[in-house]
Amino acid sequence: MSQPRVVISGLGFVTSIGNSKSSVRDSLHSLKTGIEPIEFIPGVKLPVSVAGTIKGFDTQSMSWAGWTWPEGYTFARDVLRNMPPHGLYALCATEQMVADSKLSPELLSSDETALFCSSAGSPKLLAHYLHQIVDSKGQRVPPAGVVSTIAGTLNFHLAAHYHIHGAVVGFSSACASTTQALGYGFDEIRLGRHKRVIVVGGEEVGLEATYTFHGMRALSRQSDPIKASRPFDKQRDGFVGTGGSVALVIEERETALKRGAPIYAEIVGWGQAGDGHNPAISDPEGNGLATAMKRALRASQLEANAIEYVNAHATSTPAGDASEAYALKQIFTRAGVTPKISSTKALTGHGLSMSGAMETAFCALALSEGFVPGSAHITELDSVCDGLNIIQKTERFSPRYILKNSSGFGGSNVSLVLRSVVN
Amino acid sequence: MITLEEAHKNIKESLVGFPKEVMEAYLAFATKADMESLDKVVTGILQFYLAKAPKTALSDMAGTTRLREDLGMDSLTMMDTVFLVEGLFSIKLEDEELAKLSTLDDLRQLIHSRLPSISKTK
Repeated sequence: MSQPRVVISGLGFVTSIGNSKSSVRDSLHSLKTGIEPIEFIPGVKLPVSVAGTIKGFDTQSMSWAGWTWPEGYTFARDVLRNMPPHGLYALCATEQMVADSKLSPELLSSDETALFCSSAGSPKLLAHYLHQIVDSKGQRVPPAGVVSTIAGTLNFHLAAHYHIHGAVVGFSSACASTTQALGYGFDEIRLGRHKRVIVVGGEEVGLEATYTFHGMRALSRQSDPIKASRPFDKQRDGFVGTGGSVALVIEERETALKRGAPIYAEIVGWGQAGDGHNPAISDPEGNGLATAMKRALRASQLEANAIEYVNAHATSTPAGDASEAYALKQIFTRAGVTPKISSTKALTGHGLSMSGAMETAFCALALSEGFVPGSAHITELDSVCDGLNIIQKTERFSPRYILKNSSGFGGSNVSLVLRSVVN
Repeated sequence: MITLEEAHKNIKESLVGFPKEVMEAYLAFATKADMESLDKVVTGILQFYLAKAPKTALSDMAGTTRLREDLGMDSLTMMDTVFLVEGLFSIKLEDEELAKLSTLDDLRQLIHSRLPSISKTK
């Protein structure tokens, strides 16, 4: 019996560059940035002053009852009660995905549907709640303080809301998390354990979730949104934080075809490897990521020359982008091939744990519609990229195979291979 | 008892997004310290928190209405309600007392017992 094939059959977006499939597509085409000035502490001038903000939502209130969101979504109060702010983003992204994929409540709650999520939890609510506990000398302990703040909060809430009876799993490999979730989801379907896996990543944007990265000087100090996030540029000086949520459903191909779901792309294989180097800094030579790419290609039974576009992890940090450039050279330059390469984080900012889901969803859109997004904001390409084909404009082009990279703290590197279902 | 200033601060911090009647009843309580306003706040919070809000306002339902069996109140909803009420009225309800609560009247009476100086006239 042949192995089950796995396709991406539904997408939902709440991102800095758009809160719908069409607005995200338009932003990727026109290279419209989602980054804008932000006051992490109102009225206080800080060295970091931009972020990939989420528009159309107001989640400033510490209480869910005070939030507002774009028209078109209706949520019962008990669904929102005790959710973290980015849980609202995740709900909206998942609602879009469910509608896009035409998933009925029966399919969602079938024991053949799994839910894999990732987020950093809610540092904002956690800080607020801990202050309450300490200030009251332990007398005031918020009842949902744990379920609404810890890293598994999205899987807790979404699993209950959608009555998930398949596997419910949380991933915490930092910025590699949701790419890993897609990889393990692929395995679940290949192994015949589930017919479909919903993958959701979500993050907050703000003082607690974003500015905290300034401690290690990982964030750009540029105040100009265009100059702040510029992966592969010689002058890049750090990443720009973003949040939001992206939801995908990956599904056994025949099942998805039979029920008339949209098929954006096929996942054909994945690979991962560790750097074994540093808790927070990439291996300078990119060896871990190179191994992840090699394994992804081998699992997909492909040579490097099959890949026509790489969606890079590149976050715009001096060390991280250089590490990825060396890894890409190990795989592609050595094989004498020059696939188009770009980092969409120039437009969105770095979505941390959700970045893999977000960028895989971008790749799915690109594959289904015949374009590859450009790497925006490059004024002078870093010489570390010599020999790599970094494309700076969005191009009309239909790649057959795409490779998507993600790397996270602890040296987790993941590569995913996607195939076009169009040609 | 709470001052009007504290009440405004608490509304901003804890009652944003709640129905207007709850906020108004809370402000009325800060002025009059009366049982009627207190009960309106408590039932208003509970009504807002329940997964399946009953068609009849809780304030119009019989005091013998059971929290768990009739209203479908789970333990987390109970704790959320208690946490908010404790904060709004600067009171403390003990776990042993909460475990004994069965009906709407039980909940109201427990809260009344923590605020003995409130006015019972309408």
